[in-house]
Amino acid sequence: MIIAEQKPLAEVKALVADAQKVLVVGCGTCVTVCFAGGAREAAIMAASLRMATQLDGNGKEVAEVVVQRQCEWEYLDEIAQQVGEVDVVLSLGCGIGVQAMVEHFSNAWVVPGLNTSFLGLPTEQGVWAERCAACGDCILGLTGGICPIARCSKSLLNGPCGGSENGHCEINAEVPCAWQLIYDRLSSLGKLDRLLEIQPPKNWRTARDGGPRKIVRPDLRLPAEEE
Amino acid sequence: MPPEPNGNGYLSGSNLEKVLKHGHFAVTGELGPPQNADGEVIRKKAKLLKGNCDAVNLTDNQTAIVRMSSIGAGAIVVQEGLEPIIQMTCRDRNRLAMQSDLLGAYALGMRNLLCLSGDHQTFGNHPTAKNVFDLDSIQMVQMVSLMRDTKVFQCGEAFKGQEPRFFVGAAESPFANPIEFRPLRLGKKVKAGASFIQTQLIYDIEAFKTFMTKVRELGLSEKVYILAGVGPLKSPTMARYMKDNVPGLWIPDQLIERMAAVGAPWAGKSKDELTKEDKKARSAAWQTEGIKICIELIQQIREIEGVAGVHIMAIEWEEAVKPIVEGAGLLPRPIV
Amino acid sequence: MNDNEFEPNIIAFCCHYCAYAAADLAGSLRLEYPTAVKVVELPCTGKLDVLYVLRAFENGADGVLVAG
Repeated sequence: MIIAEQKPLAEVKALVADAQKVLVVGCGTCVTVCFAGGAREAAIMAASLRMATQLDGNGKEVAEVVVQRQCEWEYLDEIAQQVGEVDVVLSLGCGIGVQAMVEHFSNAWVVPGLNTSFLGLPTEQGVWAERCAACGDCILGLTGGICPIARCSKSLLNGPCGGSENGHCEINAEVPCAWQLIYDRLSSLGKLDRLLEIQPPKNWRTARDGGPRKIVRPDLRLPAEEE
Repeated sequence: MPPEPNGNGYLSGSNLEKVLKHGHFAVTGELGPPQNADGEVIRKKAKLLKGNCDAVNLTDNQTAIVRMSSIGAGAIVVQEGLEPIIQMTCRDRNRLAMQSDLLGAYALGMRNLLCLSGDHQTFGNHPTAKNVFDLDSIQMVQMVSLMRDTKVFQCGEAFKGQEPRFFVGAAESPFANPIEFRPLRLGKKVKAGASFIQTQLIYDIEAFKTFMTKVRELGLSEKVYILAGVGPLKSPTMARYMKDNVPGLWIPDQLIERMAAVGAPWAGKSKDELTKEDKKARSAAWQTEGIKICIELIQQIREIEGVAGVHIMAIEWEEAVKPIVEGAGLLPRPIV
Repeated sequence: MNDNEFEPNIIAFCCHYCAYAAADLAGSLRLEYPTAVKVVELPCTGKLDVLYVLRAFENGADGVLVAG
């Protein structure tokens, strides 16, 4: 899922500084389960903003609402009226949610309350870690199901580099060396021979390097309307 | 040895390649470019190294700190009559920049190339930079070998005219984790086209012997020239720091104790109690011992089957190279 | 108590099983405590949420007491 975290309150305050009426819009999907922008966080954000701005002497009207998925336009229709009544919409969705609202509400000023961090999973209570870089050409089948693009600091395809030390990466003792993980897994599964092949340079065109990406599925498209 | 040589029987015709091919025990050095645009720094260091090494590595933004480019500095080294080994990392360049820079480097007279992943930029002085890592070091070795041997760019497109003919090398850290995989990964570098290998600093001779045994068993020492990395210790503090902080760097305690022992006359005194002269004398004692240890290491390394030379890393201490090479009985350097 | 003296509004979130029961007992014993303390019973203080505290402050509380 998408992992995000809240921006500091001071930054959020600056983003909504010009507005008198604010609508905090939470999202009921990824950011709810990573405790960054669900119903509870939206309510806390709204209350915090109300109190903080009141203490600053310019108390704002801050309301909150949550949609099931901010990244799908059909879920946004239900908040159209509320969006129309405020000066600024503070999205507690991921970056996709912010842009979905911008695209759906042409007159709304939408600002982000979260920093969208990465695609990952919770590894223990209160800890999330990156797992996928959305490179568009999955190589997990080669690496024992551990992604070196997302998890090796240098995205090496023929690792590990010389910076692998006692299982962790040279950049930080908190970062596991992805190639040590790959090595250990393939070793325990008796498939080390897979690491002996030289992996050729990656085609990064399917990643962000190829420009903004888009998928078109003709089988799912609706027939074009007759003129 | 390596792939089919072209024309004159050499892959590149570099001095380093010739020295190795003729079976001499090679000596390479290291020249760190300055953090400024002063070419004189390069000339001075080149003068210290000339005649003592067969070729010298020019580091590429070493430890991710901005320095004069390895190719720019290499051009000055060529002018000084010393042979450069251009280091190139995957951190700062994509495949386009790598290839075009190497075409330029060849045109400027450079003939040796060392392909590296590169230290992560978070270590250096621009930790907020975006990194590249379009290729990894093994893919870079393959790319430049194919440019040389088949006259094609990485994209597969053939090119006409002069191909860049580099003597291509790679690095190896024998004691980095996972240690069992290191010789196998070295095999991948050889398969990719590496002709020579320079290792991380070796202080633990026994561990290195074990590594070399595995390398010989895999038949790699017959396919690639292995230059063992050595370097003079400057002080026991520096030795301990390197041991604790540099991945894959093993320094036996006994060597650190030897370094500490020569500083004994000044031991037990606080910083303030030591006069300037004391500190100077202690430094000199440490440095003499550091050089002595380095010479002994080279002598032991020379005895290991499959080692084709040494790579002396005397970073910011180029003056040490001559006494080391001389002390190890490796002067004069062969003229081939 | 001096009329000019500030008397804070305190919201006391109390656990049903201990603090709330204690407040109940205090009542039975006719013990007095300031009227500015408002007791909110929770099934357990583990049920307390940041939002309750924020709501209390937003609605004019000067202090929040959590007892359990």
